[in-house]
Amino acid sequence: MEIIFNEVSYTYNIKTSLAQKAIDTVSCKIPRGNITGIIGPTGSGKTTLIELITALLNPHEGYIKLNKFKIENNKQISNINNLRSKLGLMFQFPEEQFFQPTVKKELEFGMKYFNYKLPEIDKRINQALKMVGLDESYLERNPFELSHGEKRKVALASILVFNPKVVILDEPTVGLDNRNKKRLVKLIRRLKLIYHKTIIIVSHDVDLLYVLADYIVALNKGKLVTSGSKYDVFSQEELLTNNNIDIPKVANFTNKVLKRQKIKLGNYCEINDLIKAIYRHV
Amino acid sequence: MPNIIKIKNLSFGYDDKQIFNKFNLEIEAGDWVSIIGPNSSGKSTLVRLLVGLACSNKAITVDTLMVNQEKIVEVRKRIGVIFDDLTNQFISDTVRDDIAFGLENLNYDIAEIHTRIMRIARELKIEHLLDADPQRLSGGEKQKVALAAILVMQPKIIILDEALAMLDTKEQREILNILKVLHEKRKLTVINITHNLEETLYGNRIIVLNKGKTVMEGKTLDVLKEERILTKLGLELPFMVDLSLKLNFYNLLDDIILDMDELITKLWPSK
Repeated sequence: MEIIFNEVSYTYNIKTSLAQKAIDTVSCKIPRGNITGIIGPTGSGKTTLIELITALLNPHEGYIKLNKFKIENNKQISNINNLRSKLGLMFQFPEEQFFQPTVKKELEFGMKYFNYKLPEIDKRINQALKMVGLDESYLERNPFELSHGEKRKVALASILVFNPKVVILDEPTVGLDNRNKKRLVKLIRRLKLIYHKTIIIVSHDVDLLYVLADYIVALNKGKLVTSGSKYDVFSQEELLTNNNIDIPKVANFTNKVLKRQKIKLGNYCEINDLIKAIYRHV
Repeated sequence: MPNIIKIKNLSFGYDDKQIFNKFNLEIEAGDWVSIIGPNSSGKSTLVRLLVGLACSNKAITVDTLMVNQEKIVEVRKRIGVIFDDLTNQFISDTVRDDIAFGLENLNYDIAEIHTRIMRIARELKIEHLLDADPQRLSGGEKQKVALAAILVMQPKIIILDEALAMLDTKEQREILNILKVLHEKRKLTVINITHNLEETLYGNRIIVLNKGKTVMEGKTLDVLKEERILTKLGLELPFMVDLSLKLNFYNLLDDIILDMDELITKLWPSK
């Protein structure tokens, strides 16, 4: 599912003395079937952007188009549940939302609320567990007793039971050690490659996004700074730095070598590939 | 320098899960120690034990005081902790009131409270935030306010428990640089518990924990050179350390260089 932002603005507490414009005339495209990273300093509007995508907020100006759905000001979407069923949103520290005694009950809660039939519930639970790389032995386990990485997978599975076309992850790796981070990265890649999900990741970790994402949307103070392929975006060093946006360390290194030594090392995301490139040019 | 924290034969667990078993640790006064390790290695439990949020059974002394029910108030005057999620740490309507809270509870004189608040606000450059609602601040601003609320109590030890995890890199650097200045100026002991090994470069020592045991400890760069051990524990080296070690392996470098420009000059000296 492609997502198009067209001149979108959103103001918190609009028409009051506390009014604060959080998104300011943003136009960009989030391509279907790819992983898009949304980056920007604190307060840049990243969380507001994803709340607009999920129609938790309606824009005050402009519109957001998701296939046949159009989210715009003062216009109620008919069958909003249909839209929301296509979107899965995982908040930061999602395991803090656990409240059931077993993984099975956590996963079935949402579907029971929407009156899914039992055979369908079981089928979807099995599919979701498979997607996140957990087996049936987890079903009767207490979610609070799982490891950090396992908890994060169960949280993701609780969204995947609805088989959303778009999966939105807000800071998915915060609190995870590197090993669990790598497992989650592998999982996210699988969701894209095998299950053809469109994935949106909000993260401060630009190094993670440089490895994982295909596209980047960069925000600062509610405005779009730039968007495009990750290589294009992260090569715009001055623009990003002037907008307090971090540059991945690998990109920073290759940018500096190009600037200072006039040597183009190439587009590499991982340090091992960078080493090979350096070896060739030294 | 004498040890400001001493842990001897600490055994602790939750219900049926043993976290520490005859664990020992010493931290010198004035040190900046990074405690790292994979998830569930015992890092956060250690913080709870140090400040008496869990019972350590006389195994821990802080600044010569045993951490027990009798001495807990005195112990807590010496330690300030900043956690990762500050949402629940602020309780007042204004930054000023939140910073004042601890001192008010200890019945400090109003004039003294005001003097301390203004001094710390100037030091951390948050004077303009004193009348703001702490819940409406940015992540970095919240951390500065949390830091101010601790420093105003003039502790000897500051513990950061994954405190920078939610901040962007610029905010992280800002907080760490502020702490660096204070660490040197006030001879603070800093204990930084983190997954992000880039932060360890600010400290002089690293302790590596795994499953409640010390795997390794020593000077920062000495520990970071142990790539194999750290990688096996699932820890990610700081970028420049990782790059330097890999370039060392290919004989393109013979040292660890932490500055990117310096490393580029070393690789291409004639250009």
